Amino acid sequence: MSKEVKTVGTKEALGAGVLGLGLLVLFLPSAVQKIADLEFITSEAFAMLSGSVMVVGIFILLAGLAVMFAKFE
Amino acid sequence: MATAQPVAKKKAANQIPLTYVVALVPVAIALNIVGGQINTALNLPIFLDMIGTAVVAIVLGPWWGALVGALTNIIASFISGPIGLPFAVCNVVGALIWGYGVRSLKMGRKFWTFFVLNLAVAFFVSMTAVPIYVFLFGGATGHFSDMMTAAFLAMGQNLLVSVFSSNIIVSLADKIIAGFVALAIIEALPANMTTGIELPKSEGLSKILWIVGGIVIGVAVMLFSMYGLGG
Repeated sequence: MSKEVKTVGTKEALGAGVLGLGLLVLFLPSAVQKIADLEFITSEAFAMLSGSVMVVGIFILLAGLAVMFAKFE
Repeated sequence: MATAQPVAKKKAANQIPLTYVVALVPVAIALNIVGGQINTALNLPIFLDMIGTAVVAIVLGPWWGALVGALTNIIASFISGPIGLPFAVCNVVGALIWGYGVRSLKMGRKFWTFFVLNLAVAFFVSMTAVPIYVFLFGGATGHFSDMMTAAFLAMGQNLLVSVFSSNIIVSLADKIIAGFVALAIIEALPANMTTGIELPKSEGLSKILWIVGGIVIGVAVMLFSMYGLGG
């Protein structure tokens, strides 16, 4: 009666990484507004948000490439 | 038929029990947050928020490490304010380099290659952090490294070079310490969690000395930045 151990592999790891990046994108707008409200910050919220989304976008592209080149079998 | 066994072995090595993920990921996030809080409380010229990321990236894989990195900064932003959230990408970069460095490029085989990997992590994390510092925060976030940035600016350097110079020194100390503390934690994990990962093979006291040596180098760089440049 040995119970089969559930395992996760490359596919699930990449999925988890993309989930993390997605969460980051979801939290960025509110965080960016709070940062823009700080006294010593001179940048505007829109500029910060566009910059941040571009950087996170690069990582999402990397994750997409990793999915394309990963061997799942 | 001759290749069937190695392929099956490789496939098995890529598969991790789900329990490892459920056990390690939350602990690593907690370790990162506690490290960051200790660092803030002591006002040290390092960050200490990537030790858990390094452990997970090496033991489970780079993209699990990326998840830990992103979640660390998201959760920490609720505790210590939103400034840390844009730096989540730095945590993700660190996870990918540690993970792919040890698991794909086999840079964990020897202590000196692992040391070089930590230097590479420091460099690429700094390359990611500097534009965030300069373009989002105007060069200062209230971290100890701001004093070093001010010192470099006073020497006549421009803002980008000053921020990079101070950040790379802080990052070098931080990633060397984080990498070798992570190695010590990985050594303490059950052996079946680390099967298939090529880490330095010395035994007993020799291994402890290498790990302590790495941490001492990191602390020395930190002290240099504290008393040589910052203070």
